[in-house]
Amino acid sequence: MREYRPKKDVQKKSYYRDRFYVAPQVPREKIEEGSRFFDDVKSLGSKFEVKDSYVEINQLVVIVESSSIFEVIGYMKNSLSYDILNEMSAIDYVAKCGGFEIFYQMLSLSTTKRARIKCFLKEGEAIESVSSHFRCADWSEREMYDMFGIRANNHPYMKRILMPDDWEGHPLLKTYPLQGDEFAQWYEVDKIFGKEYREVVGPENRDGAMIDRYDTKRFSRIGHEVEYGASIDLGEPDTNLKYQEEKGVFLIKKLKPEISKELEKRK
Amino acid sequence: MAQHQVNYTKDGGLPVMLTTVDHLINWGRSNSMWFLTYGLACCAIEMMASGASRYDFDRFGTIFRASPRQADVMVVAGTLTKKHAEFIRRLYDQMTEPKWVISMGSCANTGGMFNTYATVQGVDRVIPVDIYLPGCAPRPETLQYAAMLLQQKIRRERAFKKLPKKRLV
Amino acid sequence: MQQVNRLSPFFENLVFERSDNHMIVNFGPQHPSAHGQLRLILELAGEMVVKAHPDIGYLHRGMEKMGENMIYNEFLPTTDRMDYIAASANNYAFALAVERLLGIEDKVPRRAKIIRMMLLELNRIISHLFWLATHALDVGAMSVFLYCFREREFAMDLMEDYCGARLTHSAVRIGGVPLDLPEGWLESLSKFLDHMPEGIADYEGLLDQNRIWKMRLEDVGNLTPEMAKSWGVSGPTLRGSGIKYDIRKEEPYELYDEVEFDIPFCDARDSYGRYKLYMQEMRESLKILAQLIPMYKESEHGLMAHAPKYLSATKEDMMTQNYSLMQHFVLVTQGMRPPVGEVYAPTESPKGELGFFIRSEGEPYAYRLKIRAPSFFHTGLLTDLLPGHYLADVVTIIGNLNIVFGEIDR
Repeated sequence: MREYRPKKDVQKKSYYRDRFYVAPQVPREKIEEGSRFFDDVKSLGSKFEVKDSYVEINQLVVIVESSSIFEVIGYMKNSLSYDILNEMSAIDYVAKCGGFEIFYQMLSLSTTKRARIKCFLKEGEAIESVSSHFRCADWSEREMYDMFGIRANNHPYMKRILMPDDWEGHPLLKTYPLQGDEFAQWYEVDKIFGKEYREVVGPENRDGAMIDRYDTKRFSRIGHEVEYGASIDLGEPDTNLKYQEEKGVFLIKKLKPEISKELEKRK
Repeated sequence: MAQHQVNYTKDGGLPVMLTTVDHLINWGRSNSMWFLTYGLACCAIEMMASGASRYDFDRFGTIFRASPRQADVMVVAGTLTKKHAEFIRRLYDQMTEPKWVISMGSCANTGGMFNTYATVQGVDRVIPVDIYLPGCAPRPETLQYAAMLLQQKIRRERAFKKLPKKRLV
Repeated sequence: MQQVNRLSPFFENLVFERSDNHMIVNFGPQHPSAHGQLRLILELAGEMVVKAHPDIGYLHRGMEKMGENMIYNEFLPTTDRMDYIAASANNYAFALAVERLLGIEDKVPRRAKIIRMMLLELNRIISHLFWLATHALDVGAMSVFLYCFREREFAMDLMEDYCGARLTHSAVRIGGVPLDLPEGWLESLSKFLDHMPEGIADYEGLLDQNRIWKMRLEDVGNLTPEMAKSWGVSGPTLRGSGIKYDIRKEEPYELYDEVEFDIPFCDARDSYGRYKLYMQEMRESLKILAQLIPMYKESEHGLMAHAPKYLSATKEDMMTQNYSLMQHFVLVTQGMRPPVGEVYAPTESPKGELGFFIRSEGEPYAYRLKIRAPSFFHTGLLTDLLPGHYLADVVTIIGNLNIVFGEIDR
């Protein structure tokens, strides 16, 4: 019987799992009075519904509703002086809980505090664009759309950024294979030569370990050159190949090794 | 006075030289290869390094040109992605005959370590390649050796080949 | 394989003549001064840029997807190919993120930390020299290119002596460094440190008071602090706008809190100010390197952190102790299993803030790996920075922002 492979998650999996292994958790600190982030969380909690908040590896993590994300980011910027949006993107949880987790990584230049705002978005829904707060979100949201297919409302230019405009599929989804689907594998041939040339060009060689020593059509070994397509099953002849051609090159003086100087050090 | 006279019968004194047209043209071509700088990724840095102070590429008669119309050899230095593939074909078509291609580095040869959806698995799927350079990234010496091998290849070719039909792009 | 192709003439989104007398110019994706594969679509009124639309993705190689399909140690050499001008800085940023996730950042031996800092600062010098070389070449100063590559090759020699590679180093490992410094390396380094200030003086002599250089850089690419913050600009470009923020100082990692160095910054906001800043940064890097030499000599031997759950033991232990060998076998074939959680580790790479965001689900493969590359946002900045400048200044601004396409497109 063929091995069953889940289609929803085609990411590479560990081939061995210990049944009794329980992965530990990165320590999460509760935010109590006296913590660096206490005031931020308190003032954020008074304005918006904060589902959870904790400190993970010296950075504040706040989980909010996806519907209020625009206001939260604006509040963080204007009232709590988190003035740089370092990064934003999504994590694909479609197979697990039917949606995406979107995170916004922020930095406060004056207090050197870093915070991560997270929210959960169901598959097929769109998030409110924060590009009017931060210009850099313009590109980050385009990248998120390109990679995950998550659209942002009120975005000035919601188009693909990294992949070509006529690309099919969203590469960072867990359903998308690493080496691409059929469309991806034939993309350049289809575009440049047309579909009818697929047979001429041939399929891609995706096997990194493949070596065909007897293939003389694509490669010739330096020093053992034979004619195109010749069979070398019985070994190949040595062709004496040095830069100095035997009779010398027209109008070029022959190199004399005895008078050339070898440097001991490059400097 | 007579001792200043040139002895035309002795070797080296001849003011004329006999050769074939093939030889002469190939000599010219092989010693003035103008490279099209097709820098795509990491290998482009090594290509620049080979053109710069220590490795001085000009010794081989190579000059880096930025325009395909003035170049003879295209050095594909770096990863060719699917998005970029059509442009390399366009620029290759714009180069004038005769033209040669050096594929520099593992990514250009076979896709290298980037066995992913976005990478063309070898530029030879799109344009014909004369010399493949191994390495990630190849050292400047490797590129120099490739230039020397290409010179050798050019010298062995017929100077007047039947050219494939040109088409306007 | 001489085939007729079916590429149509490329005018899809280019309108040459328009009613408002504006012209659209396509710049790239293969342009010698685009520093890689940047495609810019510029709308010009006369010679003035009215609108700029950068188009990226021509070097998108799917690194984030690769990170999800590779064990952590396997992915490390891939990070080399991101910012390929300063490869060790990427290696380090990734290693730091994983170390913080594993909680072994403090366990890295002191000597390993010193070697890492040496590599990082050396990479910073290499990167800045390369920046100056290409920037000057774009602006028209060809000889500076040759001078910069002269010193750069000496720095590359040092890197090569240490790890064997010129460009793609992979010289930093998760939990430490693979090798101790080779014999005579410190002497070569101090020789380089003695020689380098002369080199910097050479470039400054060529450029500082050069009329053409000043005319082309001064008042070009004015970046206000508001715009810089809004675009998430970092590194020397941010400091060129008068905001003094350096992650090495503000959120110190490794031993940056033990060495003395200044953070150069300037209020000029223009390209010339940023040029002066880069030169100053190189001097600061030299200062750090000079302080590291005696620190190395005092440090005790030890290169990798001791964390048997995640990292292989030393070669000696592996050859003598059964359990170490078993552990090594498991770690190499299956990979380490970090705890469940998230980490974002920012570092100051030569270009700016380089950070890795890793979401781990307790598997040997990262569940999500997001790379925060500084150049990505610097390229986005072109949208707002270019309008109002002349077409000739476009090349200056692109060169001055120090962008590298390996990390923009990833």
